[in-house]
Amino acid sequence: MNESLKRGLRLGLIFGIVFIFFMLIGFTTVATSIIGQLVGNVDAQSSSGQLPVSNLIIFTVIMGFLTGISAHKKDLKPNWIHVLLAGLFSGLVTGLMVGGFAWLIGGLDAQGVDFRTYLPNLGVREIQYLIFNVPPQAAALRYILYFVLSSVVGALLIKVLSPGSTVNRAVVTLKKTTVDKLDVGKLKGTLENKYVLVALLVAVGALMYFLPFVWGSYWNYIMGTVAIYILLGLGLNIIVGYSGQLVLGYVAFFAIGAYTFAILTAPEPHAIEMNLWLAVLISMLTSTLAGLLIGLPILNLRGDYLAIVTLGFGEIVRILIKSDLLTALTNGPKGITNVGQPFWRGRLFTDTNYMHLLMLLVLAGLFVAKRLKDSRTGRAWISIREDQTVSQATGVNTFRYKILALLLGAAIAGLAGALFASRNQFTGPEDFTLMVSVNVLCVVIVGGMGSLPGVVLGAFVLKGLPELLRELSDYRLLAFGGLLVAMMILRPNGLWPVSRPKFIKQRLEACKDEPMEVSA
Amino acid sequence: MIEKLKNIKLSTQLIFRLVIGILLLVYLGWRIVQVTASGATFGADTWLRFLISGLVIGGMYALIAIGYTLVYGILFMINFAHGEVMMLGTFAGYFVLEAFSAIPGSAAQDINFLNAQPVLALVLAFLVGAGVSALFGYLLERIAYRPLRGAPRLIPLISAIGASIFLQNAAQLLFGPQRRQYNNPDLLWRGTGWMIPVGDKTVMLTYTGVFSFILSILLMIGLFVLVKKTKLGKSMRAVAENKQAAALMGIDVDSVISKTFLISGALAGAAGVMWGIHNGLFNHYVGFIPGIKAFTAAVLGGIGNIPGAMLGGMLLGLLESLGPALLGLDFQLKDVIAFTILILVLIFRPSGLLGEALTEEKI
Repeated sequence: MNESLKRGLRLGLIFGIVFIFFMLIGFTTVATSIIGQLVGNVDAQSSSGQLPVSNLIIFTVIMGFLTGISAHKKDLKPNWIHVLLAGLFSGLVTGLMVGGFAWLIGGLDAQGVDFRTYLPNLGVREIQYLIFNVPPQAAALRYILYFVLSSVVGALLIKVLSPGSTVNRAVVTLKKTTVDKLDVGKLKGTLENKYVLVALLVAVGALMYFLPFVWGSYWNYIMGTVAIYILLGLGLNIIVGYSGQLVLGYVAFFAIGAYTFAILTAPEPHAIEMNLWLAVLISMLTSTLAGLLIGLPILNLRGDYLAIVTLGFGEIVRILIKSDLLTALTNGPKGITNVGQPFWRGRLFTDTNYMHLLMLLVLAGLFVAKRLKDSRTGRAWISIREDQTVSQATGVNTFRYKILALLLGAAIAGLAGALFASRNQFTGPEDFTLMVSVNVLCVVIVGGMGSLPGVVLGAFVLKGLPELLRELSDYRLLAFGGLLVAMMILRPNGLWPVSRPKFIKQRLEACKDEPMEVSA
Repeated sequence: MIEKLKNIKLSTQLIFRLVIGILLLVYLGWRIVQVTASGATFGADTWLRFLISGLVIGGMYALIAIGYTLVYGILFMINFAHGEVMMLGTFAGYFVLEAFSAIPGSAAQDINFLNAQPVLALVLAFLVGAGVSALFGYLLERIAYRPLRGAPRLIPLISAIGASIFLQNAAQLLFGPQRRQYNNPDLLWRGTGWMIPVGDKTVMLTYTGVFSFILSILLMIGLFVLVKKTKLGKSMRAVAENKQAAALMGIDVDSVISKTFLISGALAGAAGVMWGIHNGLFNHYVGFIPGIKAFTAAVLGGIGNIPGAMLGGMLLGLLESLGPALLGLDFQLKDVIAFTILILVLIFRPSGLLGEALTEEKI
């Protein structure tokens, strides 16, 4: 009883703060417009210049629903009264907070207070919308009502679905009769059949060949970006995922590759215009050299120092590119235009050709990364990542392997940079901010450190998905930041974690029983 | 001595360091000689100006660096979001001063509260700024770091990077991306100060600069007393020395860690308000570069060492403002100088200027 109330109060407070935060950053308005698109409720927008209020009600109800669902405590066997109380209480707290807030801003707005100087998302129109176009007191009551009702329904739903209930038993039986009947072993056996595998590969290959023609140039551009991020992710995965060295200035190698390529192939400012394929090789070499230069002195430092030093290195590279000191070489803040374009049978590359090239390179990169991981080198990296001291004791030259990982990662970043510059036909210092490093790091971590399918998945989630949801692009970095924290707490192994060999799993299980010594 | 020298193995690493070090020293010496010999240096007034601005900025760096050092000393983690905590303090102070400039100060005169009661307004701005930053420092530890205690080293660091990105973008979305200007009381208006005659020219010693410098020195003394003389400081030192042993002596380790985050947040918040009062313009990026620079300062002085952080902050501020002039470089390269110092310190003396020699595990 007491427990449910406490939990309800805590969750209600959290959700209330989250909802008010959403209102203040303007996310509520964006979310309602997305809901409007989903339920086909957009016609009214054009006439009155405002979304129908029903969308906001849907959003409120969804949030209340979530409150109720979380108010339920998993480890306790729920009792009807407790569930009901927790749902009611959390809904009431959230409703009171949000309602009170709505009353406050509505009332102040009616007195002619202008919030926009300090809180740009609270314009007059937005406030009117947030209080459902009714007087503030009525809006407050409405919020309380919606939150309480939806929260109670959410809590009850969880009770109905919880293990042991009739519905849950029915679902489990249904799953047993349908899903479990599918013989996974048989499916796997079919996949291992040589002919089936070849047929599958041919089908996938054909799909990958024809898709760029069908997509059109817009999608080729987006998918090209995703492919470049997969390449970058593969490179950083070798450094962070395999050998466990946190590098935060990966963008430096990317920038060096892009700029080397651009300087060597563009007519301005140096008019070298050398052979493109040679230029790609030289870009990779320069990036590798930069990796050697920064890696040799600092790679024996501990993880978090390395992160900050490489971050500083990334910033140094960007500032130097922009500075007057190197303007003669890099064209300064203006960047380099007309970067060299590849030819194929006497014709310039089209976007489709680029897409095919990128797909091939991604496949090659995946192949190399996979083979590397399973090699002696890969095992040495993983041993360094797991425990450097033990690895050293078993005879691994840790410094050499760490340098090797950094150099390979830098070379791949150089390649990706050259492709990036050539595809965009332009390269400027603002393409290489710290956020690029962070994005690539997110790609590696969200997918799962060291996991190759994870890198591909991560690149699609982090670079492809935001393109689909354009309205949400303002909130992308906010979500990244939150995601990083949440992933580290809830799922540090990523979305698609590396599967460990069976014997290691058993050892880990065995370790769990013994209390481990927590060292400082 | 000779015995010691014999024991040093000439690894590739060491040779590499030596070569880089010698080349660098030769280059720096040559550059300084060249710049001074060319006669195109600045007059004494300009040097004094650089010195003043270096000391003022250095004081702020030192305050932020203490936060890094305190947290590092106890948890061995880099609180990457510390710069963002400072940014929130800057915003809080700004809102307080804005609010005071909107309320009338007295009925008779046409004067706002900010100028009617400048001391009270400033004290409140600093208290609120430090309080907000302390609160966020505390929340940061509770939400983003505490669940990860005992996890591998990289995990809390990634969480801290995530928190930093989150806070920065939350501030941008809440308050908008435009630059804002601090509303100082007339008493402490930017661009006013004492005139110091140097030769036939004068150098302005701004009121805000003197104010910031004195306040940061006072805060540092206060912190030093807190750490050395109070019971809380004693338990903080004990926890930094050995968590298990401290817990066995009856110290509540979790509460000491929370208090450490509160203190370091409050110092960063005070530095944030100072930053706003002294520099005027700010936006949500205000904490990022000072954050990294303060980390550099903490490393320069020896991370985990409080006097080291103070010394490192002052030194970094001075190097940053005098360095470009000494080396004859552009002033847009001052960030490059700071980052280069960071890399060089980590290569040649990872334990910093005042830090004790750390074991491999701690470095």
